[in-house]
Amino acid sequence: MTARVPSPELNHMSTVTPPISQTSLAEKPRNLPLKDMREAITDVWEHRDLLQQLTLRDIKLRYKQAVMGLAWAIFMPVLIVFSGLIIRFAMAQMSGQHLVGTEVADIALKGIAWAFFVGTLGFATSSLIGNMNLVTKIYFPREVLPLSSVGAQLFDSSLGVCVLAIILPFLGVRLHVSLLWVPVLFALLILFTTAAALALSCANLFFRDVKYIVQVILMFGIFFTPVFFEPAMLGARGAFLAALNPLTGILEGLRLSVIDGQSLLQPLTTVVKGVVVPVWNPWELVYSAVWAIAGLIGAATLFRRVQPLFAEYV
Amino acid sequence: MASGVRFEGVWKKFRRGEVHDSLRDLIPAVARRFVRPGTRPPLSEQEFWAVRDVSFEVGPGHALGIMGPNGAGKSTILKLLTKILRPDRGLREVHGRMGMLIEIAAGFHPDLTGRENVFLQGAIMGMKRVEIARKFDEIVAFSEIDDFIDTPVKRYSSGMNARLGFAIAAHVDPDVLIIDEVLAVGDFRFQDKAFSKIHSMCTSGIPVVLVTHQLDRIATLCTEAMLLDQGQVRLHGTPSDCIQQYTMGPATAPTDSTDCALTIDVLRFEAADIVRSGDRLAFQLSGRSRSDFDSDATDLHVSVRSATTGMVLFSTGALPCGVELPRDRAFDVSFDFQANLVPGLYHVETAVWDHALQRIVRSGPAKSFTVQAGDSPFGGSIQLNAAMSVMPRSNGTASQKSDSTIMTPSGILINS
Repeated sequence: MTARVPSPELNHMSTVTPPISQTSLAEKPRNLPLKDMREAITDVWEHRDLLQQLTLRDIKLRYKQAVMGLAWAIFMPVLIVFSGLIIRFAMAQMSGQHLVGTEVADIALKGIAWAFFVGTLGFATSSLIGNMNLVTKIYFPREVLPLSSVGAQLFDSSLGVCVLAIILPFLGVRLHVSLLWVPVLFALLILFTTAAALALSCANLFFRDVKYIVQVILMFGIFFTPVFFEPAMLGARGAFLAALNPLTGILEGLRLSVIDGQSLLQPLTTVVKGVVVPVWNPWELVYSAVWAIAGLIGAATLFRRVQPLFAEYV
Repeated sequence: MASGVRFEGVWKKFRRGEVHDSLRDLIPAVARRFVRPGTRPPLSEQEFWAVRDVSFEVGPGHALGIMGPNGAGKSTILKLLTKILRPDRGLREVHGRMGMLIEIAAGFHPDLTGRENVFLQGAIMGMKRVEIARKFDEIVAFSEIDDFIDTPVKRYSSGMNARLGFAIAAHVDPDVLIIDEVLAVGDFRFQDKAFSKIHSMCTSGIPVVLVTHQLDRIATLCTEAMLLDQGQVRLHGTPSDCIQQYTMGPATAPTDSTDCALTIDVLRFEAADIVRSGDRLAFQLSGRSRSDFDSDATDLHVSVRSATTGMVLFSTGALPCGVELPRDRAFDVSFDFQANLVPGLYHVETAVWDHALQRIVRSGPAKSFTVQAGDSPFGGSIQLNAAMSVMPRSNGTASQKSDSTIMTPSGILINS
């Protein structure tokens, strides 16, 4: 996933042509992706105070002049959880069962993770466009703009996680050793979300309709991501297809390690109507990790390489 | 490596009109490219060079002023300098932390308070949080909005906004200073304060690049200047040369587009081109007249123009001065005037005036001169050579003639 920047040689044709002898002066040799990545990291690190200020700004702006204030941070996940509960309740009714506490916990946990993903991309996609006056006027590593959206959403979501941590014991969730997986899974979720945030903010700067596409995908994405359901409910083939979604490994990993207390190193299966359906495969985690890390490298490289064009194309 | 900036043969092109800005436009364009490889849509016809082959170098102790008409490429050069744009060709080097007095309130968010915006804008300008915290009081004091620092910026007046923005930008402590048209901030009192701040930054020895339409600022602040036109460097030299070329344009060289009985060839200073306010400045002028010259129809025209405003402050001619130019011969004219002007840069321009048409029919040579502060400082826009004398009265007895004259500190007794 490497981007090609339109090179200046490709599309200049004008009445005046600069002397050939000076063509290559500004052209740095094309960096390897990892070098771009390293450059991006050092650049952002040097501007960490700016990142902090922009994140603070994004957080403050969400709660300034807002009647509900901090309740907004909880509102979105709560809404997702309740929609999930209605669906699960309907499913339970159909099969003549009762909704149990851990099922509510499943949905709450995965709902918060999904809300983080959706919330970040919602803000990040328009982060470069929304700060057009900065992008065209002052230089700083532009990565900090989508990254500050991630940071602000991280703040919101950690509020949600705190609330959830208080509620979970009441839903019958006990402490397990497998909780140690949570930092890894959160890290993967954040990396994957950051990768998407970088790529989409950058794409939206060049093509304004990316924002609408993202809206549609995020709206219907919940049906293609196991938030309200579990892949095993879709049958063997369905579970395999659901696992192609990079978020599946992360969300299912969270559910199994936090709610069910399962180790993520062992494959799990269940029997549905006499057919063995896989519930978990450790490779799902590897798959998600590859998406998160490769995605981040790709997105950061793409972002770095097209960044000099932002001010012109915005 | 010493701080500084360097441009070497920098070219930058822009596009006129719309670029593809939605996928709906892009996909057909890409498809077309696939169908007919090698042919490209006629985009390049819409392109133009905004900056063509510009080279300069500014090191410590140097201040470069860039001037030129709107659209000459001044701001593009600054955007190239500040890494916002990437040159299509050429080399751009910047060493050291760049301080930008550009769009000084760009990062302000209307919903945040002044205090929050100071930290935000400071960070955008490249300051560390501790650094902003340390300078915070200084910034607020400079901006003079202490009482409103915890008020959202959306309730600020535009002047307060600009003052706060300037105060932040002015406290960055840069290695290289870039200034773009921010010299007119706030009311005249704050402008003076801002200008003296800029002046002290410029004279502190750091490299400075300044873009402004206030040419007298370039004359005072810069060690060298560059005149741009349509993206190209027209002149790179001393500030006064560039200002002269810019404000007078083609008038510098005598034109002979119209057939004219009078020609002015040379204009030179009798002595120096620097005069103190209130002193006389003398010129020598050489010209020739044809046999059909009629002093009632055409006349020699001399005018004094402010380099700052471009306004003609004074004009006269041979006829108004009561002299008659000879017919059918070369002649020398000497003239002088009292430079009752505020310190600054001025041009003296010569021309041939047609009485019937009531306009200049041919421009002659021109020179620029500098007016410095004289012995008696004054305020306002014109030196009126005020005289003042004081006659102290002895106590008790009125209207007694005094034999001592006391000068006021600001005035000097001048008999003219």
